[in-house]
Amino acid sequence: MIYLDHAAATPLRREVATAMAEIAHAPYGNPSSSHGWGRAARAALEDARERAAQALATAPRRVHFVRGGTESINLAILGRVDWALASGRARPWLLRSTLEHSAVRAAMAAAEARGCIVQTIDVSPTADIVLPAGGAGALQGAALVSVQWVNQETGLRLPVEALAESCAEAGVPLHVDAIQAGGKLHIDMSAHPISALSLSGHKLGGPASTGLLVLAEGVELHPRVFGGGQERGLRPGTEDVAGAVGFAVALDISVRQLERETVRLAALRERLETGLLGRLPRLRVHGAEGPRAPHILNVGVPDTSPDLLHAALDGAGIAASPGTACRSGAVTASPVLRALYGEEATRNAPLRLSLGWPSKPGEVDRAVKTVSAVVEGFSAR
Amino acid sequence: MRRRILVAMSGGVDSSVAAALLAREGHDVIGATMKTFCYRETPGPTKTCCGLDGITDARRVASHLGIPHYVFDVEEEFTRDVIDDFVGEYGRGRTPNPCVRCNSNTKFRDLLSRAVALGCDGIATGHYARLERRGAPTLLRGSDREKDQSYFLWGLPAEALSRLHFPLGALGKGEVRKRARDLALATADKPESQEICFVPVGHYRRFLETRLPPGHAALTPGPLITTRGDVVGQHRGYAGYTVGQRKGLGGGFSEPLYVLEIRPATREIVVGRREELYSSRMSVGALNWLVPDPPGEGRSVRVQIRHRAPDAPAVLLSVGVGSLELEFETPQRNVSPGQSAAFYDGPVLLGGGRISGSARKGAGSQ
Repeated sequence: MIYLDHAAATPLRREVATAMAEIAHAPYGNPSSSHGWGRAARAALEDARERAAQALATAPRRVHFVRGGTESINLAILGRVDWALASGRARPWLLRSTLEHSAVRAAMAAAEARGCIVQTIDVSPTADIVLPAGGAGALQGAALVSVQWVNQETGLRLPVEALAESCAEAGVPLHVDAIQAGGKLHIDMSAHPISALSLSGHKLGGPASTGLLVLAEGVELHPRVFGGGQERGLRPGTEDVAGAVGFAVALDISVRQLERETVRLAALRERLETGLLGRLPRLRVHGAEGPRAPHILNVGVPDTSPDLLHAALDGAGIAASPGTACRSGAVTASPVLRALYGEEATRNAPLRLSLGWPSKPGEVDRAVKTVSAVVEGFSAR
Repeated sequence: MRRRILVAMSGGVDSSVAAALLAREGHDVIGATMKTFCYRETPGPTKTCCGLDGITDARRVASHLGIPHYVFDVEEEFTRDVIDDFVGEYGRGRTPNPCVRCNSNTKFRDLLSRAVALGCDGIATGHYARLERRGAPTLLRGSDREKDQSYFLWGLPAEALSRLHFPLGALGKGEVRKRARDLALATADKPESQEICFVPVGHYRRFLETRLPPGHAALTPGPLITTRGDVVGQHRGYAGYTVGQRKGLGGGFSEPLYVLEIRPATREIVVGRREELYSSRMSVGALNWLVPDPPGEGRSVRVQIRHRAPDAPAVLLSVGVGSLELEFETPQRNVSPGQSAAFYDGPVLLGGGRISGSARKGAGSQ
């Protein structure tokens, strides 16, 4: 099996497993307890927070551990909505891009159901953010803008740095879904006025169900769950110390290897893309018109349906993904590709091949051969 | 011979065992569940198959058997071939048989084309029916007459028969459950599904209300009349009624009344006494034959007009390309337009069609 679905989940790094096993076997208590075991757990948790903060060039007190990327996004968006409603705004106004992950889209839909107004911002195939008429000024008064750094299906890299400046100018907080950007782009919280940033562990080689929400100074949110005062009251509940440690180790390694790794992944992606296009000239590369993160290649495959294509690839030993699926496992037409390229793009079967830290050139070469053979099989029919 | 076979897995016990038996025989088995309509991303409707829960169960069984499992989105095809037909037939005052439509189109034709694309030799389902492979393949009733489901299979494309497998055809339900337990399948004790998978139990009228245009005749009240034309009451819209039905006609009659006929053009429902329910002649349309030499005029066949009903002897009066007319040896009750008529010669399923009309004893043809 050649695993090319790292954008969905990438294997746990060995160092992460070791660090987590150490926590699991050591005498750690509840970080809120004042006895020795509790203090040991607290120390491990705060070390992890410090390590994560350092990797992102922010202060440890800005880092909130949460249970996964979706939770982080929901906390940022709906926590902000709750805060806005509580501060007397009748109909808080939110903006998101048309390419957002379902976590952002669904959280915003929930916000709409609670009386918010949600507006979408177009993104061009060249990854330019098309602000509403009036530019930065038109953002004034919004309760939150939420835009992803790297698109989960195409790898498109959005100009979040410039958007952060526009938002700051308008005095509007910007939440960045950086889940696909983690370990692939340089994330420097001190360099850009980003108000909130979400990351997820299992995209970095850390454990699933771990993640964090970084909040800049002065950004006010309400919690989504209630209990003890953990994570500065924003995410109560006994902390997952092993998860936080695993997350911090994965993030730390990803950031330290970032420069070398992005060059390596970009070369692998290039090899995959030219290899496939050489054999299958009818493929359409999605995202090719704009800057892309190095780990994702998305192509449209003619003459087949997405569910058949992926079943055939799985049978041939290729683990890939259409990039979008509903809960039943059936493949649904991609709102991302529709937003970027119109209805026409949904006629081809989307195929997302994504690379990760264990990916090797030999695998890429074998994948080129196998994927080509499977796709040629469909075209021949 | 080792074959690569795609098994339609609904998540029910029958298709689970079908997959297990083929895998045990050493075939290269791939499980597939067809997503036939939108589950609205929530569990339910509370059905034993077809919903999201069905997909989850099918996946668990496939994983237990060590076979791959995929979900195929056939919503577009299913809506076109099954749901739209279901709604249209009720709108025309007939009683459709969506399971037959699904077998004739979605389950066999659409699934078979996917199987071929995946390099499979054939497809299998958990139907209780048998295939005789000597010479031209013929479809036979399942060995267990109680469980036999061949009635639902008359509409299969005949050319597909050679690629089909019915691993349960020689088994009874008790044996299937026992094998499911022996194999420790998660679905061994699931209750049977008998309802229409895309309509919440007992709510088909509400379903029709959401699909038919507002104010459609089928949902508009109309008169209940006798065969003599006397108005004896009102009904709530003819889509709620089926020939032979007694419930829902209101009370106050001197004797029990039954639906004899639905007349969509005038929104009339003809009601009458039990003995008026019997028809001696029947016309059948949308014919499909599964044998190379279909029976012609004057031939005696046995015909089954309801699931689980016994078959009855009849003589074919006239046979056209897509339709025929027959006379029952003894008049039959509840001949419902829209329902299936399946023709048999002994255990052999010859083919079938949709009932298009009937003639009551002592009355002219409808």
